[in-house]
Amino acid sequence: MEISGSIGRRPVAIPPERPGTLSSSLNVRDCESWHPPLPSNVTDMIHVRQLTKSYPDLRLGEFVALDAVSFDAYSSEIYGLLGPNGAGKTTALRILSTILQPTSGSAEINGYDVATEPAQVRRQIGFVSCNTAIYDRMTAWEMVEYFGRLYGMESEPLRVRMEDLFGRLQMDEIRDLLGAKMSTGMKQKVSIARAIVHDPPVLIFDEATSGLDVMVARALLQSVAELRGHGKCVIFSTHIMREAERICDRVGVIHRGKLLAEGTLEELQDKYEEKDLEELFFRLILDYDSQLDDAKRDDAQHDSNQGLLESR
Amino acid sequence: MNWRNVRLILAREIRDQLRDRRTLFMIVVLPLLLYPLLGMSLFQVTNFMREHAAKVLVIGGEQITTDPPLIVKGKINPKLFASPKAAKLIDMDSFSHLAPEAPAESPADRLQRQILGGQTELELGDYEVAVYFPSDFAEKLAAGEDPSPQVFHNTSQEKSQIASRRMMSVLIRWKQLLVEEKLRANKLPITTTRPFVIEQKDVASEEHRGSALWSKLLPFVLIIWALTGAFYPAVDLCAGEKERGTLETLLSSPAQRSEIVLGKLATIMLFSIATAALNLGSLAVTGTLIATNLPEAASQLNLGPPPLSAMAWMLLALLPLSAFFSALCLALAALARSTKEGQYYLMPLMFLAMPLAMLPMAPGVELSLGTSLIPVTGVMLVLRELLQGNYADALRYTAPTLLVTLTCMALAIRWAVAQFHSETVLFGEAERLDLMLRLKRMVTHRGLTPTVAAAFMCAILILIVRFFMVLMMPRPSNFGDFFLLQAITLIVFVAGPALLMTALLTRSARRTLLLRRPRWEAIPIAAVLAMALHPVATALLLVVKKIYPMPDGTVLSEELKTLFADAEMWQVVLLLAVLPAICEELAFRGFILSGLRHLGSKWGAIVISSIFFGITHLMLQQSVTAAILGMVIGYMAVQTGSLLPCMVYHVVHNALMFVMMQLADDGDLTWLLGEGKIEDLDYPLWFTAIGAVIAIAIMRWLHGLPVELSPEESRQAAIDKSAHAPLG
Repeated sequence: MEISGSIGRRPVAIPPERPGTLSSSLNVRDCESWHPPLPSNVTDMIHVRQLTKSYPDLRLGEFVALDAVSFDAYSSEIYGLLGPNGAGKTTALRILSTILQPTSGSAEINGYDVATEPAQVRRQIGFVSCNTAIYDRMTAWEMVEYFGRLYGMESEPLRVRMEDLFGRLQMDEIRDLLGAKMSTGMKQKVSIARAIVHDPPVLIFDEATSGLDVMVARALLQSVAELRGHGKCVIFSTHIMREAERICDRVGVIHRGKLLAEGTLEELQDKYEEKDLEELFFRLILDYDSQLDDAKRDDAQHDSNQGLLESR
Repeated sequence: MNWRNVRLILAREIRDQLRDRRTLFMIVVLPLLLYPLLGMSLFQVTNFMREHAAKVLVIGGEQITTDPPLIVKGKINPKLFASPKAAKLIDMDSFSHLAPEAPAESPADRLQRQILGGQTELELGDYEVAVYFPSDFAEKLAAGEDPSPQVFHNTSQEKSQIASRRMMSVLIRWKQLLVEEKLRANKLPITTTRPFVIEQKDVASEEHRGSALWSKLLPFVLIIWALTGAFYPAVDLCAGEKERGTLETLLSSPAQRSEIVLGKLATIMLFSIATAALNLGSLAVTGTLIATNLPEAASQLNLGPPPLSAMAWMLLALLPLSAFFSALCLALAALARSTKEGQYYLMPLMFLAMPLAMLPMAPGVELSLGTSLIPVTGVMLVLRELLQGNYADALRYTAPTLLVTLTCMALAIRWAVAQFHSETVLFGEAERLDLMLRLKRMVTHRGLTPTVAAAFMCAILILIVRFFMVLMMPRPSNFGDFFLLQAITLIVFVAGPALLMTALLTRSARRTLLLRRPRWEAIPIAAVLAMALHPVATALLLVVKKIYPMPDGTVLSEELKTLFADAEMWQVVLLLAVLPAICEELAFRGFILSGLRHLGSKWGAIVISSIFFGITHLMLQQSVTAAILGMVIGYMAVQTGSLLPCMVYHVVHNALMFVMMQLADDGDLTWLLGEGKIEDLDYPLWFTAIGAVIAIAIMRWLHGLPVELSPEESRQAAIDKSAHAPLG
C-alpha cells in the first residue's frame, strides 16, 4: 500500500468562538450550545448529548465511566477521541455502536437514537475495535460475505461490492485464507473490509492500531484517511497523539469519563498555546487531575470543618 | 425478528463447528469408535472367561472314598459335570492333609496351616478357589453328621467368583449324588429329598425379554449424550467467542440479540441431537452384533437386538430434550469469559442431570403421574415404557411429561436470551472473589432494605439450619418438650436469622419487615381469604398426595396424637398457628421478599420467596402446597405493603387445618364430609367452589390496591412501557 508523505487533513470551516461555559469548578467544556456552520456538502452525522455510563462497583459503589459527554461529528471528517487508557473512549464508542446502553443522556447517528433504534443505528455504522477479532475458521471472503449478508445485502450486489473491496484493499491473495493463518495486517484488512462492506456513512475505529506494528498501523491510517475522502464520518479513538495529528480534523480529549477539550488542532494549539499535541494532551490531563485533587482536598477540609462545628 | 439473520448465524456457526476437529471427533468419531471398541472388549473378555480354566486347589479330597467319589485318578469325577466341555473349565491340584509336625513347604501346605489356624484372610496364591475337606470328613459323613467342607474364594476378583461358581456346581451335584446313593442304600425313593420341582415360566415375550435392558440403557445414553453434545458447542459459541474477541464483532452487526441467541441455540441443538443420535445408532448396531454373535452372554443379560421402533421414539424425545439442554448450556456458558471458565460453569449441570438420569434405573421407580412431572426422569420413564411396548401407559403420561419438558425448555430459552441482554454477563470483567469485602460492604453500605444477595443468604441459611436441626433434634416425649423444641426452631432458627440480618444489613426494619399498619379492612379480609381458600388448600393437598403418595405415616401420626392428647386447644393453636405465622412471615415475606424485590420483578420475588418457603417444610407433599399458598401470601404482602394481613392469613389457615381435622375426628362435620373415618379433609366440590369464588373476589380487590414499587421494579416498568410504546 502506497504511503503518502502527508496524509493530510481536509480544511474545515473554522467555527465561531465557542460560548463554552465552564462547569462549576473543574473547567470542563460544555458543548451543548455549540452549533458550527456546516459547508453544504457536509452533514451532521453524530450527536452525543450528556452521555453518561455508570456501573456498580464493589469498592467504589458506583463507577462512572462516562460523565455527561457531548460532542458532534460530521460527514467527510475524522473526529479523534483522544485519551489515556481507562478514559472512557471504548465505553463511548461501544454506546455509539449500540453494544452498551447509556445510563443517561442520548446519542444519535444519522438521525437514529442508539438506545431506542439500535438496529437502524447498526446499519449506519461500521465498527472496528482492538476487541473486534475475525473468525479463525472462516476465510477472508466468507467473513466479509457473512457480515454483508447480515447487513441485508443481496447476493449479486454483495459479490460485486466484495470484488471491488478486495481489489482496492489488496486482499485478493488472502481471499481463501483462514483467519487463523493470517498475519496481523491481513486480519486488520479483513476487519476493515467487514466494517465497510455495506458502505455505511459512519465508521468507528476504537484503538484500531493497538498491537499493530508500525507498517501495518500506517497502512491502516492511510485507509482511514481515504474513507474521509468518500464522505464518511469517522470517529477514531486512540491514545497515540501522533496518529491523531496525522489524520484527525477535530479531536476531543477525554479523561476520567469527561470531555476536557474539543476542537481542531489549530484551535487547541492556539487556545492552550501549545504546538505539540502530545504536550497539550499531557497538560490537559495533568491540569484536570490537579483540579480534581484540589477539589477532593477542599471537600475533605469542608467535612472536617463541619465536623468541628458540630462537635462544638 | 429477522429469521434470515437467524438462518445466517446458524449456517455460519454450523460451518465453523464442522471445521473444528475437536467437535468432529466428539460428535462423529467418538461414537463410531467407542461402542464397537467396548463391544470388542466385551467379546474378548467374555471369550476369555468362557474358555479360561479355573485353577482350583483341593485339600483332603483324595482321602474321601465315597460313592461316587469326588476325585478319580487325580481329576474331578467326570460324572459331576453337566457336560464334558464343563470338565475342561476346571484345572484342579489335589493335596493330602499335612501332618501336624511337617513343615509347610508348598502353598497348599501354608494355606492349610492358615485354615487350621483360624485365619480369615488367606492367600490363595495362584489358585482362584480352594476347597478344604477336614481330615474327619469321611467319618462324619458316614455318621450322618455335617462334615463342613469349606470353599475359599476372593469376591473382589472376577476370576475367583467364576471359579467358585463352577466348583460349587460340582460340589452340589456331588452332594446330590451322595444323597441319592444313600437313599438307594436304604431302599428309599430318590424323590424323598425332592418331593416336587418348581418350574418357573417367564410370561414376557421374546421381544420384551430382549428389550428389557435396552429400555433402561438407551434412555440413559440418550440423556447423557444429548447433554454432552450440547456442552462443548455451547462453551465454544459463547465463552470461546468472548475469549477470541469475535462476540463484540457480532454484537455490532445488525443481528439483534434474540436472533443471535436463536441462531446459536439452533446450532447447539443440532450438535446435541447429532451426538445423541450417532451414539444411539452406534450402540444399537454394536448391541445387535453382540446379541447375534454372543448368544450365551446375550441370554444371560436378557439382551436381544434393540427394537427399531426404539430409535424412532428416541429421536422424537430428543427434540425437546436437546432444546432444553442446549438452552441451559447456552445460558450458563454466557456467564463465562473463557473456554476454561465455561467448563467450570457447566460441570454442575452434569452433576444435576446425572441423578435425574439415574433415578429411573433404580429398582421400584415406575412411571406415574408423580414421576412424570420430574424433568428428565419423566422423559426417561416414558421412553422405557415405549421401548417395552407398554404404549397405553406411556401415552397416559406423555402429556404431563411433555408439558414439564416444554416448560423447562421455554424457561431455559428465556434465561439464555436474558443473559445476552445483560451487559454484566457479556462484558463483565473478572473480579476477584473477595467475600470479606462483599460482606463488609453489605454492612457498611446497607440500604433501607436488604439486597438480593442478602435475601438469598438468609433463605439458604434458614434452610440449612432447619435441615440440620431436624436431624439433630431429640424425639420429644411429651407436649411440653415438643412445644419447646418447635418454639426454639421457629424463633431461633427461622425468625432469628431474619431479624439479625435486618439489624445488621438494613437501615429500616420497618420497611424491610413491612411493619406498617395496613388499611383497616385488610385484616378481616385476610382472615376471610384464609377461610375461603381452606377447602381449596385441602383439595390441593389431596391432589399432591395422590401424585406423590405419602409414606406410611401411621406410626408418626400416632406419635403426634399421643403428644397432643394432653394439650389444650389454645396451646396447640399457639404452637401450630401463631408462632409459625409470626416467625415464617417475618423471614419469608419480610426480609427475604423485601430483598428479592430488588430483582426488578414483583412476581419473580414472590415466586422465589414462596419456593424457599415451600422447601423449608421439608416434606414434599407439604412443600408443594406451601409454595403455592406462599404465592398468595406473598402477593398480599406486596399489595397491602404490610406483614400483618399475612400473619393473620397464616394463623387462620394453620388453625383451620387443625381445628377442622379435630372436628372431623369428633364427628361434627358429617353433614359436610359424610360418615365414616376421616383420613383427610376431602370437602365436597360445591363447598370448595364457593371458597374459590370468594377467594377470587378478594384477590381482585387486592389487585386494585395501589402498590409501592421498588426502584428496580419502577425502572423495569418504565423500560417495559417504552419497549411496548407504539413507534412514532
